Amino acid sequence: MENNYLIPYLLLAPFIGGVLVLFINKNKENLIRYFGLAVSLIVFIISLIIYFDFDNADGGFQFLYRFSWIENLNISFYVGVDGLSLLLVLLTTFLTPLTLLSSWSSIDKKVKEFTFFMLMLELGMLGVFVSLDMFLFYIFWEAMLIPMYFIIGIWGGKQRIYASIKFFIYTMFGSLLMLVAIIWLAVYASSSLGYFTTDLVELYKVGPTVPKTIQNYMFLAFAFSFAIKVPLFPLHTWLPDAHVEAPTAGSVILAGVLLKMGTYGLLRFCLPLFPQSSISFAPAISVLAVIGIIYGALVAMVQKDMKKLVAYSSVAHLGFVVLGIFAMNLEAVQGAVIQMINHGLSTGALFILVGVIYERTHTREISEYGGIAKIVPIYAFALLFASLSSVGLPGLNGFIGEFLILLGSFKSTVLNNIWFTVFAASGVIFAAVYLLWMYQRVAFGEVKNPMMNELKDMTKREMLVLLPIFVFIVWIGIYPSTFLKVSEKTVRNILEQVETPHKAELK
Amino acid sequence: MNIYDAIFYLFAVVTGLSAFFVVTTRNIVYAAFFLLFTFFGVAGIYVLLGADFIAIVQLIIYVGGILILLLFGVMLTNKITSVQIKTGTLQIVPAAVGVGLFAGFLIAVLTYTEWKTVDTALPLTTTEFLGVMLLQEYLVVFELLGILLLIALIGAASIARR
Amino acid sequence: MELSINYILNELNFIKPELVISISIVLIVFTDLIFDKRKQILPVISLISLLITGYFVIEQFGMNTFAIAPAGSKGMLAVDPFGAFFKMVVLFASFIIILFSINSSEIKLSSDRHGEYYTLIFGMILGMLFVISAADLILIYISLELLSLSSYVLAGFTKQSLRNSEASLKYLIYGGVSSGIMLFGISIIYGITGSTNLYEINSLIQAPQLPNITFILASILIFTGIGFKISAAPFHFWTPDVYEGAPIPITAYLSIASKAAGFALLIRFVKVTFIQSINTEGYWQLLNIIDWKTFVVLISILSMTLGNFAALWQNNLKRLLAYSSIAHAGYLLLGLAVLSNQGLLAIIIYFAIYAFMNLGAFLIVMLIANKTGSEDMDDYNGLGFTSPLLSVSLAIFFISLTGLPPTAGFIAKLYLFIALIDAEMITVAVIALLNTVVSLYYYVRVLKHLYLVKAEPDTPIIGVSALNTVLILMLLIPTLVFGIYFTPIVDFAKVSVSLLGF
Repeated sequence: MENNYLIPYLLLAPFIGGVLVLFINKNKENLIRYFGLAVSLIVFIISLIIYFDFDNADGGFQFLYRFSWIENLNISFYVGVDGLSLLLVLLTTFLTPLTLLSSWSSIDKKVKEFTFFMLMLELGMLGVFVSLDMFLFYIFWEAMLIPMYFIIGIWGGKQRIYASIKFFIYTMFGSLLMLVAIIWLAVYASSSLGYFTTDLVELYKVGPTVPKTIQNYMFLAFAFSFAIKVPLFPLHTWLPDAHVEAPTAGSVILAGVLLKMGTYGLLRFCLPLFPQSSISFAPAISVLAVIGIIYGALVAMVQKDMKKLVAYSSVAHLGFVVLGIFAMNLEAVQGAVIQMINHGLSTGALFILVGVIYERTHTREISEYGGIAKIVPIYAFALLFASLSSVGLPGLNGFIGEFLILLGSFKSTVLNNIWFTVFAASGVIFAAVYLLWMYQRVAFGEVKNPMMNELKDMTKREMLVLLPIFVFIVWIGIYPSTFLKVSEKTVRNILEQVETPHKAELK
Repeated sequence: MNIYDAIFYLFAVVTGLSAFFVVTTRNIVYAAFFLLFTFFGVAGIYVLLGADFIAIVQLIIYVGGILILLLFGVMLTNKITSVQIKTGTLQIVPAAVGVGLFAGFLIAVLTYTEWKTVDTALPLTTTEFLGVMLLQEYLVVFELLGILLLIALIGAASIARR
Repeated sequence: MELSINYILNELNFIKPELVISISIVLIVFTDLIFDKRKQILPVISLISLLITGYFVIEQFGMNTFAIAPAGSKGMLAVDPFGAFFKMVVLFASFIIILFSINSSEIKLSSDRHGEYYTLIFGMILGMLFVISAADLILIYISLELLSLSSYVLAGFTKQSLRNSEASLKYLIYGGVSSGIMLFGISIIYGITGSTNLYEINSLIQAPQLPNITFILASILIFTGIGFKISAAPFHFWTPDVYEGAPIPITAYLSIASKAAGFALLIRFVKVTFIQSINTEGYWQLLNIIDWKTFVVLISILSMTLGNFAALWQNNLKRLLAYSSIAHAGYLLLGLAVLSNQGLLAIIIYFAIYAFMNLGAFLIVMLIANKTGSEDMDDYNGLGFTSPLLSVSLAIFFISLTGLPPTAGFIAKLYLFIALIDAEMITVAVIALLNTVVSLYYYVRVLKHLYLVKAEPDTPIIGVSALNTVLILMLLIPTLVFGIYFTPIVDFAKVSVSLLGF
């Protein structure tokens, strides 16, 4: 097999960049900022090269790179992308420079450490998406917690220490369960294949042959770990704390990429590795997803804090994604994939916007605002645009994802119950209510707070951050097939992998 | 019950009773004297077992050496005789229950066990055998004991120095 | 009767490491007497003799034989790669500890007693080397006593504070009781079998056996003595107080070397005495005398849970590390509970890694205490920004102790979990995992104090000398590198699994 070096470069770039940052004098803050931005842009360019070389017709893994690592356990450094991971890699590399740019002035202390941790975080996230070896995957998955812990803990808000430890312990708990399941699966593989392996492609063949009872345990361990990350109701309680306390950049990355790792894990591991169990647990998990959609929306509605509102809206949006994944047909899963991207863009934009205004007023209380549309028109427009995207206005990105998911879940033979769709659809209405109501209270009406008259509108830098996001919001809304066709073949493969043993069982 | 049994029980009672008084008496000098009887009783039991060398060593070292040293220490130290050596918290009842249960278990186990026995005539003297064993089969242990004593000495010196 | 000690003279080359250490003891005593004013010679002599001993221990990786066997018996010592590995751990820890001692302000305070200090350390080493390869209960007892006696004195060495003397006295009393109990157990075993040699006992009890209550009693009594050394619950009560009171180098030493010796002894005792056969996959078939698996699993779960939960409330770093060391004893015991060579491999890997990370953690605690005179967590506030090297290192050591990738501690846990799952002990694995989550909380609490709490104006800036930097890196680099590339350590461990006779 020919080794392709593009993905190793993709991982090395932020790593080397991060290490180099440590050698820059910490007082040259602007140099550090430019350097961090440049590194993340280089990473973005590499990911674009991968995108343009990617063959959409081939649903398998491409750009494979394998390097034997631990011979004793047959562990190798094995990376590659398929349609699903490519989209998420692009999302990551796209959001990272934007977050660095957005925190240009809001992070004014320990810039060096901040840039270092952001680049390490990017490395961890990319690693999670490109790993084709369970062991490698697990290392990236866990190692990524450490920079995130520090980002929330050092640059966060008042309750940052509590929030960061809660975040750390929640995710650690889930991932350790997954570790046990990974080892269990690998040990199982060693009895059926004759050797211990953590190679994902080989485990795809082993997974479906695991007896149902053991498979159920393994599935639950994996699903539990991913469900914490997503987060699926009722495991979501870490999320509002972490989101609210994290600095803007942290929130954007957390919402934009980290949560996607949970849904990515469900699609990449849970479904293909444990098809029988996935099908039997699909209704139960979908119920939780639908509860999450409605619960998240209702709780978001009563929030007084803008950031908390956006955080709870994430719970609702990710509920849609999980519902789509467990509907297990092409429309729904494709919708889930596109919704992952959408959520990254629109929630990312919302967090950036909340950050922009917080930086000026130092408050996120909705009641403090009012009537700012007259004072800062550009900002008000941007906020409206992002909100509408999040609501799912036709013509913008959110609509495509939610529509596909609802359509798919309606037709789903696995769920086989239209009530899932009915309840989930109500979530769309709630979303319109809480977001637009929030917008109304913030942007319209009388200016209650005299401080608001002093507000300055968005700077060029801030517009530069949001503009690319808005471009993609419109792009996906109008012409989604650019993105859908990337993942289509891959999603078909995954679904086939799920259905084959299921059909065999029915016969 | 022959004469040996009678002697054994005599020594056993002396050992046990005096050990009990060592722990319960409030006066440290009395405790030291009761300890003398404990050692003496143990030495007697060794004699009954045919372990003449150990019996003598027990007498010479423990009774003649350690105990005398202890008494000297007590007498040379001012006012130690009036020091209350009993601690305040005793927890007699739980301790008695715990120790009683464990002792019962031990007695049951030890009487029930088939011990490995070898039929052999008691040697007249064990000293020679011991000497040969220590310098041949257990030479390494013997040498190690020497180092142990050296370390103990150095440790004691280290504790005593200011 | 004729004495023939030729057999010993012929086999002296099997105990070269022990001989070198014995000679060093004498050498140190004399050097201390002769060069009364030049105390800095002592650590140099110690380091050199450790290196020589290390060379001879490496030789032992190629040996697999009994040593010091008088005619007609099996031999007092078993020289094998398994023992050689644990001897290496002990020697490595000793080497690092002597470097610690050079830097420790606590030890410097009592510089007039350095001769005693190094003699006692070497007494401990000698005891441990013998404990590790002893195959005879008498030798085991005597060498354990040598080890204990030296460590009692060392625990109270500085005599600066009340807690120091308290540590020493507590250690002495608990140690005395547990070694007495162990001796009682040994005497019972001798009473049943008529032998003190582990290998002979094993062949004497091979005949089909029913669970024998006396044997169980004796084994548990002996386990008490060993459990005390490895600080497994419920024999752990001394650990927090002694760890807190003893000078930091000695605390670190007890947590690695003394524990390694105890584990080597425990494994040898269980495997050699009770084994019936080993199947092709490396699982041990033990004699049906005592259910070691259940027993060890219970002890280990107790140790992990107790250690981790008690550590949650600690504010003193040394006490925290004490409870963490109890918890780690629990994890290590799981490797034994598997009763397989795979589990043994996991223990060996765990120890190799544990030595680096735990010594590292203690080193940083010591360097900080040298400056601030305190091990209280509140005195660590904001150090992350004033003393970056120390804090980053401490953070990495603690992340490794938690068992998070990409540090070596993860590999240690990984192999443990592999062994457990391979033996289908999933429930136990999950309990261990839950414990790891609990432990995350208290390890991360230290990180919180270092980095998340704002630095005060009076937060000290702690400089690190060149020697200390080297020492830190010596422990830090393996902790990181073995987390990424652990083939060498696994290959090394595979060699070390071989225990004499099996």
